[in-house]
Parts: sequence; C-alpha cells; structure tokens
Amino acid sequence: MNRSEAKVSEGEVIGVRGMEERGGVGATFDAWYWPPETSSPQETQVLEGPRGLRLCAPVLTTEALRALARTLRAARAEILLDRNVDEIVAAVSAAACRFLDTADPVRAMALDLTGRLTGYSAAMSELVLDGMARDWLEGPLRRLLTSEFDDPGVLDGFRPGPAGSRVRAFGPALSFHVGAGNVPGVTLTSMVRALLVKSAVVVKPAAGDVALPTLFARALAQHDERLARCIAVIYWRGGQEDLERAAMEEADLTIIYGGEEAITALRRIAPPQASILPYHHRVSFGVIGRESLQGDTAAETALAAARAAVIFEQRGCVSPHLYYVERGGQRTPEAFAEQLADALRRLEEELPAASLDAEEAVAIHQLRGAGELRRAAGAGVTVYRGEQAGWTVIYDESPSFEPSCLNRVLRVKPVSDLADVVPLIRPYRRYLQTVGVAGAGGRLAGFAEELGRAGVTRVTSLARVAWPPSWWHQDGLAPLRAMVSWVDLEPGD
Amino acid sequence: MLDSNLVNDLVRLLRRGVDSSLDDDAFGAWAVRIFAYQYAHNSVYARYCQGRGVTPDTVRHWSEIPPVPTSAFKELALVCGSRREAQAVFETSGTTRGTERRGRHYVLDLTLYDESLLPNFHAHLLPDREGMPMLALLPSPLAAPSSSLSYMLGCVMDRFGTPGSTFVVEPDGHVRYDDLHKQLDQLGNAGSPVCLLGTAFSFVHWLDRLTAEDRRFRLPAGSRIMETGGFKGRSRVMERDELYESLGDRLGIPADHIVNEYGMTEMLSQFYEPVLRWRVTAASPRLGGMRPRGPDATNVAGGTGLHVPPPWVRTRVLDPVTLEPVPRGEVGILQHFDLANLGSVCAILTEDLGVLEESGFRLLRRIEGAEPRGCSIAMDELLAARGAAST
Repeated sequence: MNRSEAKVSEGEVIGVRGMEERGGVGATFDAWYWPPETSSPQETQVLEGPRGLRLCAPVLTTEALRALARTLRAARAEILLDRNVDEIVAAVSAAACRFLDTADPVRAMALDLTGRLTGYSAAMSELVLDGMARDWLEGPLRRLLTSEFDDPGVLDGFRPGPAGSRVRAFGPALSFHVGAGNVPGVTLTSMVRALLVKSAVVVKPAAGDVALPTLFARALAQHDERLARCIAVIYWRGGQEDLERAAMEEADLTIIYGGEEAITALRRIAPPQASILPYHHRVSFGVIGRESLQGDTAAETALAAARAAVIFEQRGCVSPHLYYVERGGQRTPEAFAEQLADALRRLEEELPAASLDAEEAVAIHQLRGAGELRRAAGAGVTVYRGEQAGWTVIYDESPSFEPSCLNRVLRVKPVSDLADVVPLIRPYRRYLQTVGVAGAGGRLAGFAEELGRAGVTRVTSLARVAWPPSWWHQDGLAPLRAMVSWVDLEPGD
Repeated sequence: MLDSNLVNDLVRLLRRGVDSSLDDDAFGAWAVRIFAYQYAHNSVYARYCQGRGVTPDTVRHWSEIPPVPTSAFKELALVCGSRREAQAVFETSGTTRGTERRGRHYVLDLTLYDESLLPNFHAHLLPDREGMPMLALLPSPLAAPSSSLSYMLGCVMDRFGTPGSTFVVEPDGHVRYDDLHKQLDQLGNAGSPVCLLGTAFSFVHWLDRLTAEDRRFRLPAGSRIMETGGFKGRSRVMERDELYESLGDRLGIPADHIVNEYGMTEMLSQFYEPVLRWRVTAASPRLGGMRPRGPDATNVAGGTGLHVPPPWVRTRVLDPVTLEPVPRGEVGILQHFDLANLGSVCAILTEDLGVLEESGFRLLRRIEGAEPRGCSIAMDELLAARGAAST
C-alpha cells in the first residue's frame, strides 16, 4: 500500500485508547477485532495485561461466540473460497507491508505495543518485528506454498494428481487459534497460514502476543475489507472453559501453541470429535565444533552464538538454552565461554536487554548465585555476568542438558566430541527442536542424521537459528498440509 | 560441632525474647561475629565471599555480607563443618511431580531452632495463654523427619500442646478426618478453644470436604489457626481472602485469629503476622487501611500481609534487577539475615516478593520455582521428561 492510501489518524488505525497515562493508570489497548457486519459486542471489559498495559476485550458469551463462528463460516464460503491463493497472498502481503514501512503509524504502534508487552528494548522490538513480518510478504508466502504443494493451485481447484486423477485440497472452514505469549508474531503466522488454505479464523492470542494479530486484522480490513470479514481476534484470559469448549466445537480445526499444561487443559474439555493441532513448547540449543574454534574464527562464532540467543531474549522455541562446545580446537570450551560473555557484553549496546519483571530477574540471580557457590565448591563452574541482570554465561563441566531461565542466560558445557551430545539430549526427544551448529565441517550431515534420530527437527547455522524460513517444517510438520484435507477425483473408466 | 561458646551466647540472645530490642549496631556486631565464624568454618561459603571481594575484614555493615540464594541449597551442603554431624536434614517440598531437586538444610544444632521458634511462636499464636490443645494437619516429625514444618509443630506441641494435641495426617498423607472431627466435637462440647495448624493447602482440602458434607463447627471462642505455605504444584488454588472467609464460615474462627506463618526450610527462624498478638496486647495500630490494593492484593498472605521478624532476624527488600535496597514502600525481593542460622549461612536471598514496612515487611508473593516465560518448556516439565525417560 502506498502512503497516500494510509491517511488515517493513528487512533483510528490501531484503536489504542488513552495512550496518555492517566493518574497511574496505564495505556489501554483494544485487544480484539470483529468482522464489521457482526453486531459489536454488548459489553467490554478491561483486563490487566503484561507489564502494566491494560487490554480491553469484549465480554463474550458462548452464544455470541457461536454466532460469530457462524458469520465467519459464511464469510469463508462467500469470500475466501471465491478468491484464489494468489489474491490472498497479495492481500496478506499488502497488510503486512505496513509493519515494515517506517513511515506507517501501524508500524509505530506495533513497535510501541511490542515493547510494552514484552519488555523488549526499542532495538529488539524493531529487529523482531522486521524478522517476523518478512515472512508475511509475498515472496516468503509463495515459497511456503510451493514447498508444501507441488502445485498450490490445488487450493483453488482440481489439479492433475497421480495416475490420471485430479486432486483438490481444502483447508478447514473455520480454524480456532490459541496463541502463546512468548514471541510476538507467532500467532499471526498461524493465522496467515490458515488464510492461505482459505480457512476463516477465530484467534485467541495470549496477552504477550495480542498486538500483531489485532493490528494485522485492522490493517487488512482497510486494504481488503471483504477478506477481513473472515477474521476475528479476541483476547480473553485462558481457562474460560465454556468459551474455549464452544470455540473448539464450532471450529473444524483447533491449533494450540502452548505448554503442556495449557494444551492438556484444552484437550480435556475438547469435544470428542475435535481435531487439534498442538505446537508444544520446545527447547533448542547449539553445538560448536572444533573447526569453529580456531584463533581467527572463534570470536566470530561466539558473536553469532550470542546473537542467536539474544534475539527474542531467548524466549523463542528456536532460542538456544545452552551451547555444547567441543574440546580439541584451538580454543578450549572455557575460553569460548569467555568469548561468548564478551560477545553478550558487546551486544548490549546494539540490542539493549529487556526490562525484566521481578520473577525473571529473581531467577537469574538465583542461578548465578548457585553457580558461584558450585564454583566455590570446586565443581568446575565459572560464572560470567553483566551488570545487573543483563546477561550471564555459566561455564559448567557437568555435561547434562539443562534448560536456561532465559533472558540472556547461557550455559557452556564441554564435550570431547560432537557425537557425545546425542545421548545427552535423547531423554528430551519430544521437546527438542532447533540445533544451531557451527564448526562441524565435513561431519555435519552425519551429525544431523544423529540429531534427527534423537528427535531434533531443525539443524541450522548459528546465524539462521532465530529466523527459520517461511517454509520450515515447524516441529517436524508441514504446517499447511497439516491443515488441509484432500479430495481425489479419480479418472473415469 | 558448632563452637559452644558461640552457641551459648546466641541462645542467651534468643532467650531475651521477641520483645527485647537489638539495635542495628548490636545486630551488626552479632552478624559480623557469626559471619567470621561461618567464613572460617565453611570453606565453600568463604570462597564464594572471596569471589565477591568480601571477607570478615572488609565488612563494615552486616548488609555487605554476601547472601546465598535459596536455590543453592539444592546444589550443595551449606554447613559449617561436616554434614554428617547434622542433627536434622530438612528438605524443601517438591511439586507433585516430585522430580526436581530438593533443597537440603543441614541443621547442626537443633537447640538454635527450638530457641528461636518457641518465644516467637508463643508471642504470635499464644499471646494470651501458656498452652492449649493443638491439632496439626500434617504428619508428625517421626513420620516426616525431613520436613522442617513437621519438626516445628512437633516442637511447639511438646512445649505448648495440652493433652489431646496430635498430628492428624498419616505418614502416607492420609488425613484422619474422622479423628479430627471427633476431637473438635469433644473440645467444642468441653468449651475448650483449640489451635489448628497446617498448610494453606491442607486447610483448603479439609474445607472442600466440609463443604461436600455440608458440615460446620462452631469452635469455642479463642480458637485459632496457624496457616502457612502456598500452593506449589497443587491443582486446587484458593485466594487468601476466600480461604479466611471459608475458615470463618466452616469453623467459626474469625480472621483476626488466623495467623499466617512465613517460614522457609533454609532458615531456622520464622515470621508471623501479628494480627492475634496485636489484638491481644491492644498495641495494635489500626489495620484497616493496611490491606494492600492492586494486582498483588489477592496474593497477600493473611489479613494484612504484614510479617514481623524476631529481633535476631533482619530483612532487606532488594530491587529484583539490581539487588540494591529499594525505598520503604516499594516492592522487591526479600533477603533475610537470620542469626539462628549459625550452622549454615545467615544471609539468604529468597525468591519472595515483599514491601518493607516500619515493623516488618508485607509478604506479597512467593515465587515458587519461577518458570521461564518462553515457548521453551519449563524446567519442571523437562525434569519430568528425564524422570520418565529413566524409568
């Protein structure tokens, strides 16, 4: 969209009310979007969001939610099924562009809200928004489609299939998306994927990721009002079982991002026929081989390793919790830990740390103190730490796989050989996701095979760790194919 | 073995009771004396302090003595001497998954525990009497030797419990509700007030049962409750206000006779809400306006949330990020300095949030095993996976 078309006042675009901080009462964000032709909610409520931001949302009844679902389902039949995939890609991309246009008030609001919701510094909010929004543009969306379907036209009509047949793919008429709050944009990615397979969406974002889906829906409505009729975004506090059950009953597919507890809770109340696609919480880590520990490359490797963890403040499923470092290179694992600390210190300037809440900071101080005591007890531990709670590297000779408390806390653990990592991670196979690998040299393919057998679903370079491509097989799935069902039209006799 | 002169001197200090005053200089002198002892007898702690550039020679004020985080008790034995000489080993409670590491506090000399506990408990739970029947919704110390809470209540019952006092929970966790109810009926008929002691969770569980049976007790006036602890790893969580209301409804015990105790396995001394004490001694400032408002209000322990340390404990409230002291009235993490912890480490950095007040601190929230906020999995979940994989 060019600038002249976006002459709307900021308030209208983003629906943020009272950004002035009245008498200690923080800003309030309208955390919902309903298709325009549905009657607006009878009543709204203001809920406490993260870090003092207040979230205004409709007070929903199950009846209202069911009515909304019927409206969306009808809009899908009338509008979405009538569009071809190329048109949907173009519309999504045009709306997403507004997140990237530095002169657009939608971007400004997205950045402001991201900072408020996550505690990210301004630089981190920009980096994350840029990185996430890239994937909602035309090129990456097309790559996703062609990666999943030999001919994405199967989403538009019958296309040639095997042995003279023709095949056609349908997405769910209505999908219900339950978001997680850890990384801004992930919920919108789920929403966009559903739109690509022509599914109308009801999105319940988590408080921490409420801004981008809502802002996107409003931007899309300005660009393509009809398409936006297939979207509803509504925030409510998780655990309202009547609403969640009703949404799962209405939807043909429920996609849940979250921890074990959240997913189990929803599964428990789901109707028996519900189709559920869960994206569980995952852990990722890095492995540094000796080829990357040469005198001239080690510092560079450390910087890439630091950056991989710092992006998203380590809260992404792709974010490394710890680094296994191979012995026998020019630099020892211990020396690498020091270089990693150095890199984290340097990154503080470019990407200042998030403002942490008490629990996050407390966890860091507990971990540091315990690490220092273990060092004092001769446990082969060294703690490197930044000012305040800024960053922490714990070099620890005990090889066991240990998750981080996040927010720039990295353990470095030595291994004699890359292959030694595999048995250490095997117990966690159902949780493993990304492994960032450096310096494996000619061993990479064999090592990736071993990692895959142990349950890892993505092996990549340190530089790419934070930014999986649009087409990635997230958690081992083909995300579009996981949503569609097929119709075979077999050849006549 | 702890230095007997030091133990004796300390016991004399504890015996001066909770009304004695120990000004900052006197407290500081004690703190530095004990720090020097711990520095000399706990080499791990000494190296930890050296790492922070602190030795007994450099300490000008007790607040400079490096605290150890509670989680360190999960990693190592923090003890002045040999852990094999411990008279008791208290363990932190786990979650229901029971897979995580537990903290261990090696107690070399239980005398210090008893001497710290008894006057403080007496002042806050029995300000108006020397003893009364006590019923504990916990397993006995014999049944749960690693529970500091069971030990504490055993000690209290030995000293202050009149005949009929008992623990009503079996070693396997089974609660003898029938016995409990019979006891309460008898005491009620005799017009004898009773002191009930347990965790908040044990009361919630009991209340659920009383509600299901639609049963109520009208316990004689003067009956009271000590409740403690949170809901770590529990499926049933009840807000404090609701709990107190429910206790009033089902047992007939008013909120000013319900005393929240805040204690931790890593410390030999405890903190109490002074509701009953102030009511009885009529020294009570008006409590009405002290109930905190805002998002944390629902997590406030007890009626006021105000907890008072005994003179031999000092509490600092630190900025969670910088660990610098925050001004009075602002929220921070609690760091305690407990002189009774002679045999381990006095300075303890907790995971609990509070606000410093004139006479103590308001406990806002116990951060129980804070979980990372990522789409990465929680520590607990991961450890559970490891547990499952290894069985």
